[in-house]
Amino acid sequence: MTDAALSDLRVVDLTQDVAGPYCTKLLADYGAEVIKIEPPGGDMSRRLGPFPEDLPHAEKSGLFLHLNTNKKSVTLDVATASGAVILKKLLARADVLVESYPPGRMDEWGIGYEQLRGDFPQLIYTSITSFGQTGPYRDYRANSLIALAMSSIMYTTGEPDREPLATGGEPAGYFAGLQAFVGILAALSYRQQNGAGQQVDVSLVESVAAADEYNAAMYAYLGAIRRRFYSRQVFGYPMDILPSQDGHVVVIPGAWGFPLPILEGASLMSLLLEDLELDQNPLFRKMHERYIRWRELDELLLPWLTTHSSRQIVETAQELRMPFALVPTAADLLEDKHLEERAFFVEIKHPGGVKLRHPGAPVQMSETPLRSGPAPTLGQDNEAILGEAGYNLEDLGILRDRGVI
Amino acid sequence: MAQLPLDGVRVLDLSQVFAGPTCTRILAELGADVIKVEARQRLDVPRNLIMTDNDIGDQPWNRACYFAVHNAGKRGLTLDLTVEQGRDLFRRLIPQSDVLVESFTPRVMAAFGLDYEAVCKLRPDIIMLSMSGYGQAGPYRDWSAYGMGLEPASGISATTGYRDGPPIRSGFAFTDPLTGVLAAGAVLAALHYRQRTGRGQYIDLSQHEGAIALVGAALMDYQMNGRLAERMGNRSSWAAPQGCYRCRGDDDWLVISIENDEEWATFCRATGHPEWAEDERFADVLARHENHDALDALIEGWTREQDHYEAFHLLQRAGVKAGPVLNGKKLLLDPHFRERHHFDLVDHPVLGRRPVHRHLAARFDRFEPRVDRAAPLLGQHNREVLQGILGLSDEELTSLETEGVIGTTPLLELPPELTLEMLQELLQQLLLPLEQMQEMGAVQAVEPDYRQQLGLDETAGG
Repeated sequence: MTDAALSDLRVVDLTQDVAGPYCTKLLADYGAEVIKIEPPGGDMSRRLGPFPEDLPHAEKSGLFLHLNTNKKSVTLDVATASGAVILKKLLARADVLVESYPPGRMDEWGIGYEQLRGDFPQLIYTSITSFGQTGPYRDYRANSLIALAMSSIMYTTGEPDREPLATGGEPAGYFAGLQAFVGILAALSYRQQNGAGQQVDVSLVESVAAADEYNAAMYAYLGAIRRRFYSRQVFGYPMDILPSQDGHVVVIPGAWGFPLPILEGASLMSLLLEDLELDQNPLFRKMHERYIRWRELDELLLPWLTTHSSRQIVETAQELRMPFALVPTAADLLEDKHLEERAFFVEIKHPGGVKLRHPGAPVQMSETPLRSGPAPTLGQDNEAILGEAGYNLEDLGILRDRGVI
Repeated sequence: MAQLPLDGVRVLDLSQVFAGPTCTRILAELGADVIKVEARQRLDVPRNLIMTDNDIGDQPWNRACYFAVHNAGKRGLTLDLTVEQGRDLFRRLIPQSDVLVESFTPRVMAAFGLDYEAVCKLRPDIIMLSMSGYGQAGPYRDWSAYGMGLEPASGISATTGYRDGPPIRSGFAFTDPLTGVLAAGAVLAALHYRQRTGRGQYIDLSQHEGAIALVGAALMDYQMNGRLAERMGNRSSWAAPQGCYRCRGDDDWLVISIENDEEWATFCRATGHPEWAEDERFADVLARHENHDALDALIEGWTREQDHYEAFHLLQRAGVKAGPVLNGKKLLLDPHFRERHHFDLVDHPVLGRRPVHRHLAARFDRFEPRVDRAAPLLGQHNREVLQGILGLSDEELTSLETEGVIGTTPLLELPPELTLEMLQELLQQLLLPLEQMQEMGAVQAVEPDYRQQLGLDETAGG
């Protein structure tokens, strides 16, 4: 029987929205026991779509189901004194706490880091917030758009004469979730050697800024402020999405696609476009000319691109060893033959009644494969988890009546 | 200085460009001894990308800022794995290492005789991470991949774009750092498991798959409703108004996001336009989605008169989510990022004192995951590594240098007919046409006094 990498860990998860739940989804998929504590009304993402036939239902949010696989759910109002008492009982057997409330909120409830560290010296107390626990903006709020704006990515995304553009799909929460996941594992590794828990402080805004490729470096090493120009890389053209006969492709000639003085024979691009004469064209011979006179270069490429299908283009280019790529929609991904052969998508039947194909394990681990269990219904583990913490059915009845669980 | 979590962990790093180096950069920040292995015959590509001060100097391969930023904290070793001598040294390093990271297409490591099976024989509990573009199996396994292609390939670009426009990529290869962080997490999880059981393992990370979780909501919507997410510009189905608005100043912008009635009322008060709150067209959430264009015009009428940083503080203090669109310079100078040590200063032997941003965006109260060491010059630590870890003698090292197996300069195989003119042309391609880029609008400004503005010289030697 295979083991899971993190099967020895217990996580108490107070997070909502995307970042925290993605972090704890990773912990759970890697095998940790994640107890998701939801306010009695449920994680806010239970109210966010998509829903089947657009009918809101707490057990059928596609976003919630996506972000909460393999977790257990307990309802508990930690803002009440009674809820905080129960939380502390759960923490007695936990390795990690993850929370995503604004800085100071947990302190108001008597369950802040400073208040808990004495009783739980081994606890990894993880806080995922907009701007972090310190610094002049700590009390400000962010979402994906604000994080993208303040990371510098947005300033370099979009068309030169239009407004800066956000990356689609509200990605900031995923970056923060991943960063928190790494931070927690780093703190666990520290604890293994030193025995001590600590606070892990992750912010949405820094998580995206940490992904910067060279926007800050262009200034700190050249004094140049890079700006959006169709989101283009500064070191060459094309490395971009261009139209094909049936959609779009990413045209990336790579380091060896165009003629170079040190290369013999026809260039890969001229072979692809089936016109070896192109190798004599100055636009093919000079990198900077391609970047500056890109419209003229497009005119050389588009007639061939727009008369071939995306798949034909990418497969031919890849045979020539140029890193072209497809531009799939969600529907294309679900039908992609490569992903299918790798059995990437996994079908999960959720206890709330929905059956969906989920993006599968983001890494294939030979000894400790990731898990792909369902997302929990609201409060489905109240009796088991709270029972284990010492509460009997009568207690649970009382707590339920008072709105604590 | 407090102990770091990965003190004592050694990582052999064959990865290239951005994704893999992000993974090993994080491991280095956490204290691992990361040995970046390059061949003199085939340097890591970013050694060619973006020369400091747009000047190739006499060692262009040590001047690229792209390389400097993503490889700080690592040691540099040159080894040519295409020849037996290079492979032999590499094989001798494996038993001394805990983790091996590579990002080639699958056939490369097999061709070196360094697939997991072979590596495992040399170090049974090793953790080997392969992070190719499309994974080790499946019809696209041999496809080569750049981050510029993987972001669209993961489905992200289909939903990125102006409302009336085509799909567009992000301003940086977005999935590279994402899968780099993901990879660091996988290595840490595998180390955790090894600690518990003594067992290593093999990790197959397809960068393509690693990023698909980001389009989870779109995948679910398609399955539930047959609907494909549209490109929405900067708007969202979770907030209205939401957008990016022009401010006073040259190319200064502010993003604003308003979710509910309360935030809307607050926004109208804070901007000095209580009458907007009374306007029927914007009376409730649905109306604000419906009349978003009209709202945008009003909001931009206000922001155009505002400084983007001042408006940011004004709105945030009132309780409205907003943020200035920062460029590279503003990111470096922003007080919040400064106070939280987003950038570390390192002393580079050729480039001097420079900032490098932390790739792990988590702060801890018992240790500080930072790098003290600049990115390695080509082969900078050849002797240190081969002597220190393998115990090679001075004679052996000298003979390896003489034979060109290790060295501190590139060894390019140039055709005999290559003229000086052709070489000049090649070198010219390493520079950016900054003047034209500025004219085109791809570069906003070039500021020769940037070192002073960043205070880099004040701290020199400090």
